Amino acid sequence: MLNVDLVWGTALLYIALLFLVAYYADQRQKQGRSLTANPTVYALSITVYATSWTYYGSVGKAATSGIDFLPIYLGPTLTAFSWWFLLKKIVRISKQNNITSIADFISSRYGRSQWLGALITVITLMGIMPYIALQLRAVSTSFAIITGYHDFHFGFLESISPFSPHPGIFSALLLGIFSTIFGARHLVSAERHEGLVAVIALESIVKLVAFLSVGIFLTYGVFDGMADLFERLYERDPALLVRLTTLGSPGGNSYASMCTVLLLSMSAVMLLPRQFQVMVLENSDESHLNQAAWRFPAYMFLMNLFVMPIALAGILLTGGVRGADYFVLTLPMQEGHQWLALVAFLGGFSASAGMVMVESVAVSTMLFNHVLMPVVTSFKPQNWFPALLITLKRAGIILVVLLGYQYQAIVGDSYTLANMGLISFSAATQFAPALIGGLYWPRGNRTGAIAGLVLGFAIWFYTLLLPSLVHAGWWDTNLLVSGPFGIELLRPQGLFGMTALDPLSHALFWSMFLNISAYLAFSILCGQSEKERDQVKKFVQVFAPENGSPHRETKRLSKPVTIVQFVNLMSKFIGEPQAHAAIAEYLGEREIDGRGGVSEFELPNLKRFVEKTLAASLGGAAAGAVVESFLSDIGSRMESVYDIFSTVRTSRDQSREALYVRLRASEIMNRSLDLDIIIEDLLTLILREFKLDLCVVRLLNETGRLEVRTYKGEGGAELTAEERLLEIDTHVGEAFLGRRPEFFNDTAFISKPFAKEIFQREGIKSFAHIPIASEGAPPVGVLSVFSRSIVGLFTEQFVELLESLAGQLAQAVHIVNEREAREREREQKEAALLENARVTRDLELAKQIQLSLLPLEPPGVPGVSLACRCVPASHVGGDYYDFFPRGGELVDLVMADVSGHSVGAALIMVETRSVLRAQMQAIRSPSEVLGVLNNLLYDDLSRAELFITMFCGKYDTARRVLTFSNAGHTRPLLLREGGWQELDADGLILGVEKRVVFEEKTVQLAPGDLLFLYTDGIIENENKEGEFFGVPRLCDLLTELHHEPAEAIIEEVLARLNAFSAPRPLQDDVSMVVMKVH
Amino acid sequence: MKTRLRDGVIKKLKLTDSWVICFVLGFIMMNYPFISIFNKPLRPFGIPLLYLYLLLGWVCSIFIVYLFSRAERHKSDKERS
Repeated sequence: MLNVDLVWGTALLYIALLFLVAYYADQRQKQGRSLTANPTVYALSITVYATSWTYYGSVGKAATSGIDFLPIYLGPTLTAFSWWFLLKKIVRISKQNNITSIADFISSRYGRSQWLGALITVITLMGIMPYIALQLRAVSTSFAIITGYHDFHFGFLESISPFSPHPGIFSALLLGIFSTIFGARHLVSAERHEGLVAVIALESIVKLVAFLSVGIFLTYGVFDGMADLFERLYERDPALLVRLTTLGSPGGNSYASMCTVLLLSMSAVMLLPRQFQVMVLENSDESHLNQAAWRFPAYMFLMNLFVMPIALAGILLTGGVRGADYFVLTLPMQEGHQWLALVAFLGGFSASAGMVMVESVAVSTMLFNHVLMPVVTSFKPQNWFPALLITLKRAGIILVVLLGYQYQAIVGDSYTLANMGLISFSAATQFAPALIGGLYWPRGNRTGAIAGLVLGFAIWFYTLLLPSLVHAGWWDTNLLVSGPFGIELLRPQGLFGMTALDPLSHALFWSMFLNISAYLAFSILCGQSEKERDQVKKFVQVFAPENGSPHRETKRLSKPVTIVQFVNLMSKFIGEPQAHAAIAEYLGEREIDGRGGVSEFELPNLKRFVEKTLAASLGGAAAGAVVESFLSDIGSRMESVYDIFSTVRTSRDQSREALYVRLRASEIMNRSLDLDIIIEDLLTLILREFKLDLCVVRLLNETGRLEVRTYKGEGGAELTAEERLLEIDTHVGEAFLGRRPEFFNDTAFISKPFAKEIFQREGIKSFAHIPIASEGAPPVGVLSVFSRSIVGLFTEQFVELLESLAGQLAQAVHIVNEREAREREREQKEAALLENARVTRDLELAKQIQLSLLPLEPPGVPGVSLACRCVPASHVGGDYYDFFPRGGELVDLVMADVSGHSVGAALIMVETRSVLRAQMQAIRSPSEVLGVLNNLLYDDLSRAELFITMFCGKYDTARRVLTFSNAGHTRPLLLREGGWQELDADGLILGVEKRVVFEEKTVQLAPGDLLFLYTDGIIENENKEGEFFGVPRLCDLLTELHHEPAEAIIEEVLARLNAFSAPRPLQDDVSMVVMKVH
Repeated sequence: MKTRLRDGVIKKLKLTDSWVICFVLGFIMMNYPFISIFNKPLRPFGIPLLYLYLLLGWVCSIFIVYLFSRAERHKSDKERS
């Protein structure tokens, strides 16, 4: 016996170590540097399969019934071959669907059935509870054996309490608390519990090391190897050795039981809730399966290597099989190795603790998701739900452990408990048909699964659990011997007269036979609901590659739900921060429209995402129910879309109809250039091909309104009656301004009151407004389609097709518009040309008239010879000269230049001429003439912003005296024998000031003198070097020509001028008057 | 020659079919009638024949799964490079 305080102290230290490890692993998980995400830890955590039933029980079984303990561990090795395809598939599905337990897995596969989940939970509770009890009992029994006390003999407690707590309840509470802390930190069950896994892995190492230590000590320390042990037993009892090491000998094992145990263990390693928990839910990477597939069997091999030797050693050392279950503990103690016994105790404790922790977490998750959640979800979600739920989940763990304790306390130390391991395995095996069928057989359905499970469970209960209860003395043993009510055929262990098999094989045969038959039969006879079919795809075809065809949405929400509504819903179950984090991740790469929602086509996906997120905490069935009841509360539901493209898809993403319509539309576009014909044909096509009642095309007119261009279909007077302003209040306006299709699949949920009223009156069920726009360009109109019969007509594909048609139409509108614009431009150009020609002609005319206003010939005045010439540079000019002979002796000469060459200048010149002619009626001196002219013309000139330079001279032929005044005109030249002079007189140009006094000068001329009057066009004439013709050059020329006749001088000056500016024409009007005195 | 054989074996081991075949074969070899071959009260090396058979069979199957996992790892190595 060991000192009880020593055992206590060691155990507490060990538990403290476990806490530390779990805490450390949790911290590492928070930091994102996982301690447990590697194949070794994964494989070690799977070895939670080896419980205290293995640790203590295997030796007991080996000692009493021999070799048939082995298949319990050979089976899992065999299943390791299936992991690569079976377990991998389960893991993949679980991760994709946020599966929380095996009950959730199976119920999710069969249409998220609440009933199926609850049924599996009940089976698990009944089948697993005794197994937990077994573990707790192992702890207390081993404690009792190692210390000699049957209760927790704890000095401290004894002093304060009259009775000592049973070690079972103490360990139960401790393990329960441990599991609560590390197994239910969050509500999310689908995420990994790293602290828990780390502890399981550590415990797995401890139990292996402890067991190997005992085995090696006994085999090689006490005895001389394995062969020695067999030899000694043979010498002592050959019959016993043969019975223990062969099959089929009388009283021993049979081939059938070997096969049975093999099958049971094979399914148990996959289907026990704790195995599912560690293998599937705690898996961090699918590739770890590979490594675990050989590490786990290797662990099992090592664990079992010394089972037989220890059993034989026990028989040899104690002389019998009494207490064989605890040989691992008692033999080291008997041999005087207390420390080894303590290590063995710790190993046994580890085996129990690991199993209880994982199992309680797994079972409580099932209990929570499938029994409590259906109750909770029947209430309206409240804000305090998250707190309630996590409390419920934690309480569930404690409850499961305590139930296990209660069970072992009531049933007591009996035959039942010892056999509980395999009975539990048999219960878990009932899940196999539903699970395997669900993974590989698409037809398997909910009815079949429920029927199979109910039948299998009933048979299991009747043929296996009931007899064990009878053995425990709970029932009259007559039931086993003569059957219920004396009907022998119904004897629990010989059902329908099948007595050849051992009880376990018998139970397995009947339960599986009926389970599988019912599953297959009902699956074939009954159909699947739609919800189920959706799930089947996710499960059976999880590895099916995306074959290039994009996913086609076949569902829609009848009333759109906003993101905020979904977030509020999630918050009420998983807490606000988690809900926001989840939605943020989901929305990451998706588009959100202006109203804070996702597009209608995205809604079903969003709904599925919400379900999946909730499923991670509540389980699939409850999550589905929660979302469904939420939707029905706000008056929405999932319904099938109207499949307008019913035929086989001929291309990647288009149906034959869609292709046909596109093709026809292109034909229509190409056939005509008349927009009205195009639109009309297109609308007819759309109306005919799809189940629509009314199609309208509105185009933007010049006043910025959407004008109904064409419509087809019946009724809709109100819809087509008026133009639509571009306002966001109307759906049409919204589609146009928002540049995106605006559609309602159910007008019952329209929010715009005006539109709603119209649609109700018109009986429109669904409609779509598609902006008519080419890629990237602003819309030119709106294509509207209406249906009176079909709700949910507008699928993503259909709207895409309509958009593409609208795009083609936009092209056509664009082309027509462009053609019209080109036409208009051409006409404008033509008109401009005509106008131009007319102006040119008019100007030419004006030029002729203007020229005709100038004296054609100078008057014949005695004593002088006169010559004159005007060469306008452009059509009309501002140069003017005139002669006014007065009697035989006097002649007035006028030379003027209106600034500019415009029509205005010409008109002013005309006016000047008229005024001048009028004023010249009276005989006046030149300065008077200029003064009067300035006075008269001033207003007109300043209004026209023009001015006039003018030279006015009066020549007395008799006296040869020239009297002259000058209003800023170019000074005339006077050439005489031996030189030339400029005739200068002060005077401001006309039109600058109202009253001006002009200087008047006289000059005596002599015969042979030459007076040359000219405008500045002559001296400012430029050659191509930019040189002016200039006064000196002109004087030189005139000096040269002095003796030529007047007309010849003019001709020569013009010729020289043209030669000077050549090759350019004259820039300014050129006028000159020559007067030669005889 | 040796590497070709190794590559060939690795290729076969990657097939899911190979896993299934081994699974079925293992199940057959642990059941009647196959197991009756070893169900004899003989003790080669001092250890009962059936016990020895099951233990050695166990080691063999672990080794085969080990080879499988090596082949799979080989594959993922290749995919990575």
